[in-house]
Amino acid sequence: MSNLRWQPIATLLLSVYGLGASIYLTITHFQPKALACVSNSTFNCEKVTQSPQSEIFGIPVAMLGLVFFVPMLLLCLPAAWRAADRRIHLARIGLAVTGVGMIVYLIIAELFIIKAICLWCSSVHIATFLLFVIITTASPIVLAPGYGTADEALADSVPS
Amino acid sequence: MADNVQNPGTGGNKPKPTGSGGGQSAKDQSRAASRPVAAKGAGGGKGGNTPRPGRPAAPSGGPKNSQRGVFLAWGAVAVVIIVIAVLFIVKATSTSTQDLSYTPVTAAPAQVVKDVTTVPLSTWNKVGVTSQIPVTKPTVIPGQPPMTLNGKSPAMLYYGAEYCPYCAAERWAMTTALARFGTWSNLQITASSHTDVDAKTSTFSFHGASLDSPYITFQGVEQYTNIPVSGSPNQYTNLQNPTKQEASILTKYSSSKFLPNASTSGGISFPFVDINNSVLFSGASYDPQILANLSWTDISSGLSDPTNPVTQAILATGNYMSAAICQASKGQPGSVCTSSGVQAAAKALGISAS
Repeated sequence: MSNLRWQPIATLLLSVYGLGASIYLTITHFQPKALACVSNSTFNCEKVTQSPQSEIFGIPVAMLGLVFFVPMLLLCLPAAWRAADRRIHLARIGLAVTGVGMIVYLIIAELFIIKAICLWCSSVHIATFLLFVIITTASPIVLAPGYGTADEALADSVPS
Repeated sequence: MADNVQNPGTGGNKPKPTGSGGGQSAKDQSRAASRPVAAKGAGGGKGGNTPRPGRPAAPSGGPKNSQRGVFLAWGAVAVVIIVIAVLFIVKATSTSTQDLSYTPVTAAPAQVVKDVTTVPLSTWNKVGVTSQIPVTKPTVIPGQPPMTLNGKSPAMLYYGAEYCPYCAAERWAMTTALARFGTWSNLQITASSHTDVDAKTSTFSFHGASLDSPYITFQGVEQYTNIPVSGSPNQYTNLQNPTKQEASILTKYSSSKFLPNASTSGGISFPFVDINNSVLFSGASYDPQILANLSWTDISSGLSDPTNPVTQAILATGNYMSAAICQASKGQPGSVCTSSGVQAAAKALGISAS
């Protein structure tokens, strides 16, 4: 973990923010009046959250955000970052890649189909993108052979 | 690391054999490199900063694989950044070349705000309710309970839409009249629909604007933007819904019970202005046609000229509104409510403004 000093806490904070924003956007999807957002010709959260593109196969995109951020938050807990089980790190990377793929689609929808930008959604996109950057660039470390083993943890606990 | 387990009790600070790089893992080398080399007490010149002997190199060939992984990771990040950047560039390029089908809402120029909020009292008084352009008197409905909005009374409610040309005309009068009773903030300019009648009428938007007044609580609701829905040129995107309390007021006072010319289908005509449930303005008080081809600056800069027909229409309507607000505020502030222009409007409406 010597090269992962800030990544766990940064990803955890981003996941907490993303989860909170997704909860808010899910609520406002069903109660548009509760949405507090700038509205002008460029930014219009309500237009985005009430658009046909705000649902995929009948599931609100905001709710998909919840489905994304709940496991992401768990996978970004410090204990998960320290885990020796490669599957946990692969799952985190896979989820991050899925998330960034989703935001590329949503950016296309906002810019070219809905023609309005939702600031709340954009903040979630930024959080997701930063998660992707941090998790991807940390992947060579966490996927390295021997990462997260008991002796590694002990080495990290050694004062220098 | 295994070597640490094999050397119990050594701790991190115990001097260790200065191993060559070959026996260290990349992690150990990184750790050693990142530590400041400084004397840390006894135990040899290198003290705790000496890299620990590492475990044998990973069987997968460590550094090369690790380097490839780093390149792949940053490559993936770069690809995503490029894709997103391209999307925004394409969007920016296409927007700059297309003709906007609506006038965006933008911050009002300071001079425009100054002109509409500081109309000289002498101009108000000279105009009174006299206008070369016909101005429709509002409807007075006596005997109704005062309006309460968000727990505050007296209150004034405006209901309109950014696309609506009649609202565009009415907003000029409302903005100037309300500026006599308080301070506007976040006033923004826009124009009515580009395809409706009286297209592109210059105006303000009350969406996001607020009036700070000790005399009246003002709430403006812009139900729709002036942005046409794709494929439906006569429909506009939703902007702001009235609250339950506002909807209740609108439903009650826009009915034919209070407005003889109200729609019998139950719809509310834009604009609708209710001043403390005592004076109602339904539709434009004057023809928006008179504002055709006039910019915001053209209109606002003329507001100090009482002979300007546009100014007369705006200020005559504004005096009616002022008189109604004065009735609600029980004559406060006196400097406005006792002015000859407001008194003339109050007399014409048969109400008391002081």
